[in-house]
Amino acid sequence: MSSRWKLPYFITRHVLYALVIGGVAGIGFMLFLIEFDHLTSSEAFCTTCHSMELAAESYRQSTHYNPVSGVRASCGDCHVSEGVFAATWDHFLGGKDLFSQIFGPDYDDPVINVLHLPDAAFAARTWFKSKDSATCKRCHVLEAIQGKRADTNAIHREETTGKSCIDCHINVVHRKVPDEKTFKRAQWHRMIEEEFGLEAGMANQLMAK
Amino acid sequence: MNLSLLRRLLCLALICCHPTLFAAKVTVDPNQWGDPLGKECISCHEKASPGLAQQWHKSAHAEAGVNCLDCHKASVEDNDAITHEGQVIATIVSPLDCSRCHTVEYEQQKGSVHSEAATIIENRLPALAGHVGGDAIVAAGCDQCHGSKVKLRGDGTIDPSTWPNSGIGRINPDGSKGSCSSCHGKHRFSKAQAREPSACVRCHSGPDSPDKAIYEASKHGMQFQSHRDEMALTSDSWVAGKDYVAAPTCVTCHMGAAGKLKATHDVGMRNVWSLNTPISQRQQLVVFEDGDKLELPESQTSPRRGSELTKSDGSMGKVKGVATPKRRRQAMNLVCLECHSKSFAGSFMKQFDGVIKLFNEKFGKPAKGIMQALYSEGLLTPVPFDEPIEFTYWELWHDEGARARHGAAMASANHTWWEGMYLVGRNFYARFLPQVEMVAGKETAKALIEEHVKSLDHHQWMDKPQKANPILGYDVTRQDNE
Repeated sequence: MSSRWKLPYFITRHVLYALVIGGVAGIGFMLFLIEFDHLTSSEAFCTTCHSMELAAESYRQSTHYNPVSGVRASCGDCHVSEGVFAATWDHFLGGKDLFSQIFGPDYDDPVINVLHLPDAAFAARTWFKSKDSATCKRCHVLEAIQGKRADTNAIHREETTGKSCIDCHINVVHRKVPDEKTFKRAQWHRMIEEEFGLEAGMANQLMAK
Repeated sequence: MNLSLLRRLLCLALICCHPTLFAAKVTVDPNQWGDPLGKECISCHEKASPGLAQQWHKSAHAEAGVNCLDCHKASVEDNDAITHEGQVIATIVSPLDCSRCHTVEYEQQKGSVHSEAATIIENRLPALAGHVGGDAIVAAGCDQCHGSKVKLRGDGTIDPSTWPNSGIGRINPDGSKGSCSSCHGKHRFSKAQAREPSACVRCHSGPDSPDKAIYEASKHGMQFQSHRDEMALTSDSWVAGKDYVAAPTCVTCHMGAAGKLKATHDVGMRNVWSLNTPISQRQQLVVFEDGDKLELPESQTSPRRGSELTKSDGSMGKVKGVATPKRRRQAMNLVCLECHSKSFAGSFMKQFDGVIKLFNEKFGKPAKGIMQALYSEGLLTPVPFDEPIEFTYWELWHDEGARARHGAAMASANHTWWEGMYLVGRNFYARFLPQVEMVAGKETAKALIEEHVKSLDHHQWMDKPQKANPILGYDVTRQDNE
């Protein structure tokens, strides 16, 4: 009987210790990742960088921040994928933003920030498109979209074949940026120069830095 | 044939040889419209904006297979291009966009007084709308008729102070001027609706050009109201005297086909006088080779065909032809002749011209002369509208002065006199002249009034204070007895 329960010969005591420690460490690591992803998806964490505080300004004016339902979407709800591995990967990729924040242009400067905003918006849209707007669908269920007008439901039922949320719903939360296809940087620069009272051509100079 | 006769014939040709039908037949190959991608817009817009979708469904455009994208499509490099449901479109459909098919109408309206409506008031706006009103008034008032200069923002939106706007002289992102939808309401584009006098009312109303009220008060307007069912407003061909005879509308006289006179989308072509100016002038219309136009006072030498001339925007243009005031009047008369005799029409025009000349000589020129003197003497500050007399002078020609002249042009006796010249007279004698004295002092005012006013026969009555009349109750009998 004892022979039936006998461990294979290569499971020595040390291996057993390693397995138990490794297992606990693994569970601990996974729990850590879950907590890590959770914490680093929060508005409070994101806005520890001043540049992100600038992005949050428009967010706090949006219906995603103040919906009548009270269901508030935080930064990560939209910008970080669901699932611990995907979320960790997204955070890993997001590390390059941190790199840019430290070594790149001075994104904390509102002018520099908004001059680079279109590129950020285009990148975000491409990301949403590549995920088939998966993070939108965490909360929004196509079949359940009613809207205030009767037609809103019909449009979402009948006119959305082959389309992803982001195809139509851009500029929902952050400052409006045109679609990349029709975006004209010179016009964007002129608008920013007017807005911040800069001399003509300053935007180009700032971008070249 | 001498040269002047040749030039006259060319002018006549210029007026009369304007394209043949009122709504010129579209000559574009039908394969050029009905973009299959545009058909995809419809089912969504039937839900998202059912009003405009239904209007389009009932339009001649829908009937011909012209869809949303045919008018709204844009290229990515267009200033106002946006992406919408995967298509590159522009919100604003400019006259240049319409000209993809309606080339003739575009060429006609180009350079017309309508398409230049914003440009014409550009230098007045800062004083009137800026000082007396404010930016909000420019957007919701002035620009809604005259047209805004559409401003695009770097984020792809249109500056809300410049859009929505259907002003007829709108300066569009593509550089074209005008707004077809000003008369042809968007999405339905009904020709019947554009032929209605009410199409003009949105702007041709108010103290300076109460043309709706004038028209309605005239016999023409009364006939239209009584017999509108005989007006054939929906007819493809709409030639006065042939397709309808019940009454003329605004369009009939200013744009419409009548007898042999061809229709035109240049609304000012048949106007001899400038009516909304401090002093009316008979004007000649210079047409440039590129289609641009320029109004010149008759007093100026007529430019020769082929010569170079400075256009209203400052650039140079080659003169294609000149429509003299005489020819323009002849064109307008051709409309009258569909119903009236030559002498009837001619005498009506004499009555009209008489009112214009009276306004010019009796009030327009003296008031302008005095104002210029007050400015040059430094008795008024250069800034407009900071002194009461400036309002009085402005209204004298811009409000009641214009009403009198428009009233005479379109046969409303009431507007010519009580709403017009009576008020001009009252405000001239009882407000303007006393204000001159307040501004300039007794001595200087007396000299100015002697020079500009009392030297004219029109004002001699002022020097005859004993010439009594019972109209205000003065007892003529007793005076005679005493």
